Amino acid sequence: MIARGWSPIFLREMLLFRRKLLRVGYLFSAMVVPIIYLVTFGLGLGRNVQMGGKDYLSYLIPGLVAMSSMNNSYTWVASSLNLNRLYFKSFQIFVQAPIQASAIMIGEVLAGMVKGLFASFLILIVGYVSASDLSITPLFIITVLLNSFLFAALGVITGMITKSHEDTATYNNFFILPMAFFSGTFFPIDRIPELLRAVVWCLPLTHTNLLIRKTSLDADGFLSLAVLLVYAGVFFVVGSRLIRNYSE
Amino acid sequence: MIEVTGLAKYYGKIRAVDNLSFRIEGGSVFGLLGPNGAGKTTTIKMLTTLSKPDAGQCSIGGHDVVLDHLAVKKLIGVVPQENNLDRELTAHENLVIYSMLHRVPDREAKVRSCLELVDLWGRRDSLVMSFSGGMQRRLLIARALLSEPAVLFLDEPSIGLDPQIRRQMADIIRKTRIDGRTVVITTHYIEEAEALCDRVGVLSKGSLIALDTPDNLKAMVGEYIVECVNAQGKLVQQMCKTRDEAGSLAGEAECAVTIRKSNLEDVFIKLTGERIE
Repeated sequence: MIARGWSPIFLREMLLFRRKLLRVGYLFSAMVVPIIYLVTFGLGLGRNVQMGGKDYLSYLIPGLVAMSSMNNSYTWVASSLNLNRLYFKSFQIFVQAPIQASAIMIGEVLAGMVKGLFASFLILIVGYVSASDLSITPLFIITVLLNSFLFAALGVITGMITKSHEDTATYNNFFILPMAFFSGTFFPIDRIPELLRAVVWCLPLTHTNLLIRKTSLDADGFLSLAVLLVYAGVFFVVGSRLIRNYSE
Repeated sequence: MIEVTGLAKYYGKIRAVDNLSFRIEGGSVFGLLGPNGAGKTTTIKMLTTLSKPDAGQCSIGGHDVVLDHLAVKKLIGVVPQENNLDRELTAHENLVIYSMLHRVPDREAKVRSCLELVDLWGRRDSLVMSFSGGMQRRLLIARALLSEPAVLFLDEPSIGLDPQIRRQMADIIRKTRIDGRTVVITTHYIEEAEALCDRVGVLSKGSLIALDTPDNLKAMVGEYIVECVNAQGKLVQQMCKTRDEAGSLAGEAECAVTIRKSNLEDVFIKLTGERIE
């Protein structure tokens, strides 16, 4: 049964998001990093590179979509939850409302997904203009949705456990940034040293990158999908538990 | 209505609240009075499900605050000490979201009546960040009343407000009593506690050191205070039971004296030797 009471949390985030969207700076900040990568690696360094029989840009764009959905889903949720809990104290009105912890979790995760999907959509627009061979399959959409979900859920965990706003950046530097570079966004993971490859294979973004570039679901794809589902489930349960056990 | 037994909360080695026990009857206004750091906010946080007690029990309307927290949350409205309104949303949006969280029926009508109660209906579409401190406090009260809670908790509702706005706040709090609502208020404003509360609990260093009606507490120390500044420039106070006793004491004094009625701060000084600041 879906926990009731998530909609006001989602609505609140969407109202705040709508106000942010009206600011020019927001759109720019959501797009600037992926566009820098697109120009530097795709149009600059990768102009004459072929990857898996495709031009490099067609290889890179799905990776940038995955990275962008990860970054935006995770960062927005982690940062806003941390600020709302420690500084603005508005998280406390959710805790004091007669709703289940899982409802708070669903509301926060769905809001994070919207932000992640919005940023991914912006990259896709740029990708359609610049890449020669980019196809959006149902598997592509499912993968981006799942990726946004699990990283928004991870954002809730970070937002709940960090003791200051600065801590959020620390987690970002230790987990999110290395994942963005090593998990197959810019090059296949079989090109990194074997010892590191085992670690990278366990990371969720690796499986998003593997899955997002497939046109159909083969045995490897099933494995990646299963890994992502396990991560999503574990992050959701842990996040809900942290909210349930919240105490000042 | 509210039953607290042996309640305790520790932060490391600091005993924020220690073995607190009291009972609050339904429909009354109960005040927790004490200086900063006495444990008032920690007590409110435990009663409003925001903080889990380390020991003891508390129940509201027969529901345990920890074990049956969802039932408790349906009974309470909270005005926190720190303003936790969404500043980038309008007054109306803040109240609509809260009413959805608490599944308030006939939402729009209720939002309107609560905004009218605190005289903010005309500013409903303004962003909260454009409101003055007093307006934001009034909006917090409107928000807490939306779900028609049986118990309203106000944690330092007048903190940082000028005397005129404090009086407005007191009027709003009095209005909330009309329909038999229980009000629990923490404050370190003596006059606020005296003016609003049927009973007052005096907290010091996490412990309840006195609990009674304001009149009984004042009678405990003496109804009149004779004050004078001695030759060393020190304020000397003497508590007296009757006006006549105070008058005769004033007649014997060698310096200029003031006779005044005692207040809850005198009670606090008598009990702890400290002032409420």
